[in-house]
Amino acid sequence: MKQIALYGKGGIGKSTTSANLSAALSEKSLDILQIGCDPKHDSTRMLMHGEWIPTVLDLVRAKGDANLTVSDVIYTGYNGIRCVEAGGPEPGIGCAGRGIIATFQLLEKLEALYGDVIVYDVLGDVVCGGFAMPMREGYAREVYLVTSGDFMALYAANNICKAIARLSKRAKPCCFLGGVICNSQNIKDEYELVSEFAGRINTKLLGFIPRSQIVRIAEVNKQTVLEYAPDSEQAGIYRQLAETIMKNTPDPAKKPTPLSMDELEKLAQKYITA
Amino acid sequence: MNSKNLPKNTSRLDGCTVTGALTVTAFIKDAATIVHGPAGCTHQSSSVFHSTMLYNECFDIPEIFTSGLNENGVIFGGEGMLRDAIEEALTDDYKCIFVVGTCISDTIGDDIDAVCESYDEIPVIPVQTSGFLGGSFERGFISALKSASKLIEPDKINPADAGQSSSFERPENNRPVVNIIGEKNLEYEAESNFSEVKRLINLLGADINVRFVRNIYVDDIKKFADASLNVIREDPTGEIKSHFDNLTNIPSISSYPYGISGTTEFLRLAGKYLKISPARAIEEETENQKEMFSQFEDLKGEKISFDSFGFQKTENSLLGEIAYYAGIVTNPEGTVIPVPFYTPVGTTGVKRTLMQWRRFINA
Repeated sequence: MKQIALYGKGGIGKSTTSANLSAALSEKSLDILQIGCDPKHDSTRMLMHGEWIPTVLDLVRAKGDANLTVSDVIYTGYNGIRCVEAGGPEPGIGCAGRGIIATFQLLEKLEALYGDVIVYDVLGDVVCGGFAMPMREGYAREVYLVTSGDFMALYAANNICKAIARLSKRAKPCCFLGGVICNSQNIKDEYELVSEFAGRINTKLLGFIPRSQIVRIAEVNKQTVLEYAPDSEQAGIYRQLAETIMKNTPDPAKKPTPLSMDELEKLAQKYITA
Repeated sequence: MNSKNLPKNTSRLDGCTVTGALTVTAFIKDAATIVHGPAGCTHQSSSVFHSTMLYNECFDIPEIFTSGLNENGVIFGGEGMLRDAIEEALTDDYKCIFVVGTCISDTIGDDIDAVCESYDEIPVIPVQTSGFLGGSFERGFISALKSASKLIEPDKINPADAGQSSSFERPENNRPVVNIIGEKNLEYEAESNFSEVKRLINLLGADINVRFVRNIYVDDIKKFADASLNVIREDPTGEIKSHFDNLTNIPSISSYPYGISGTTEFLRLAGKYLKISPARAIEEETENQKEMFSQFEDLKGEKISFDSFGFQKTENSLLGEIAYYAGIVTNPEGTVIPVPFYTPVGTTGVKRTLMQWRRFINA
């Protein structure tokens, strides 16, 4: 079982990437489980044809965790992809981080964490231990950083890199940096910038997703690109990414090397002035 | 932020903030205290209460409520659980409800103040007590005293001439009255220490007004502003004095009287604030002290040394004074006397101390 997590700045396109990745993987007749780990619970919407599925935490709130079954929390979407949304408290109250922990413990108890590939779509910025849990507790074995050439996106990716670097110092590390995925924002020299960033943090750029109108059109039609325009060039790019990720096995000996703030700024400046 | 988190910095008084607060709020007899946190926080404090109070032969153990915060509360916010607990307490005949916060409720950011403000049937008063912010037992204790002082009715407080213009009737004999603030309710000698201070206040021709807070009722607190003087049990940081000074403008003495000269100084200071000449009281007390020392003639010339056993600060000057008056010699070779955790209060405290020394010397 391959367990991968996509982390990155909020709004960078993790959910779109995750959903299209899951869709592409499902074409290979693999059993896919996608878990949205963000209180805004919009990770699996495209796979569910626009349906907002009940979140684990909403169900816990309504029925109590003792009364939940697998069929309550897992919904089958496009091409048999099983979808889960962790959810969270209403904005401004409670602790969403603890909610993520509770969700994982519940999914484990329900023996729902199985399949050929589990895709964890984790909220943009890891703000506390709760959101680091998928990688900390060995649920997500490979972390992929979704970024663009935007400075703040690189900044967030670098922060996640710091968390992985910290985890990799443990006696038995179980989570490794899989690589960087660039979700392009049509920034000048973006490919070169993100490639260099990936190299500097001791990993590689695994995929470059060009900005495409078809993604927005598919989204408005409540579908992934793979479903809405399976023959499009963009669909091919997601298939290629899925292929790359399936073949990718991070080297445990290769530790991530997060950049200092100064280094990150210099890197960004280099491509701005060039 | 918490700057006090190293084990080497902790002392016996650095217990849980919640327990510190409960030692105040739980001693208002017709008030309920709700600890907003997991049930264990309440249980832990209750255990300390039970064991300490039973040890002190005090069987009127207060009931403490818990909001029973659980994982659901932590994830979705615990304000609902707190409201449930308040609603339940409201069905009983309490005159006031205190809500004591915990580390958990503060970590998840429950807005305890806002919840408390939404009730107006009876006062529902929040107490800031999250220990992880660096607070200790003492911090909870002070925080609770401040919170309980909200029960002193604002229109009865007149900082300009406190104690003079209260609409409450003065006692018939019109003797001035004194508030006692911050008694250590779990202290073994709380009652005897109070009796000693009361004796000294009576000696001056004044009476006790409110014991803030020990075994009183909410309505008792309303006459707080009648007093002409506050006597604080102990106030090392000066925070309690400054709070009550600002609140009521009643002058405060920051500590119970300690030792021989400390006791006469207490009478002098209290007399000054109460506008009563302390001369006769001091004279009487000096006679009383002489008579007391005469009961310990047998200890004259004995040698003693003090030992704090390394777990508390040694303040020897006061014990040295007692030894001096009793004619006892302090010498490293002398009988080892353990330093008491709480300093003996007043002349009676000195007497008890000497009786204890006698036991050690004659052992």
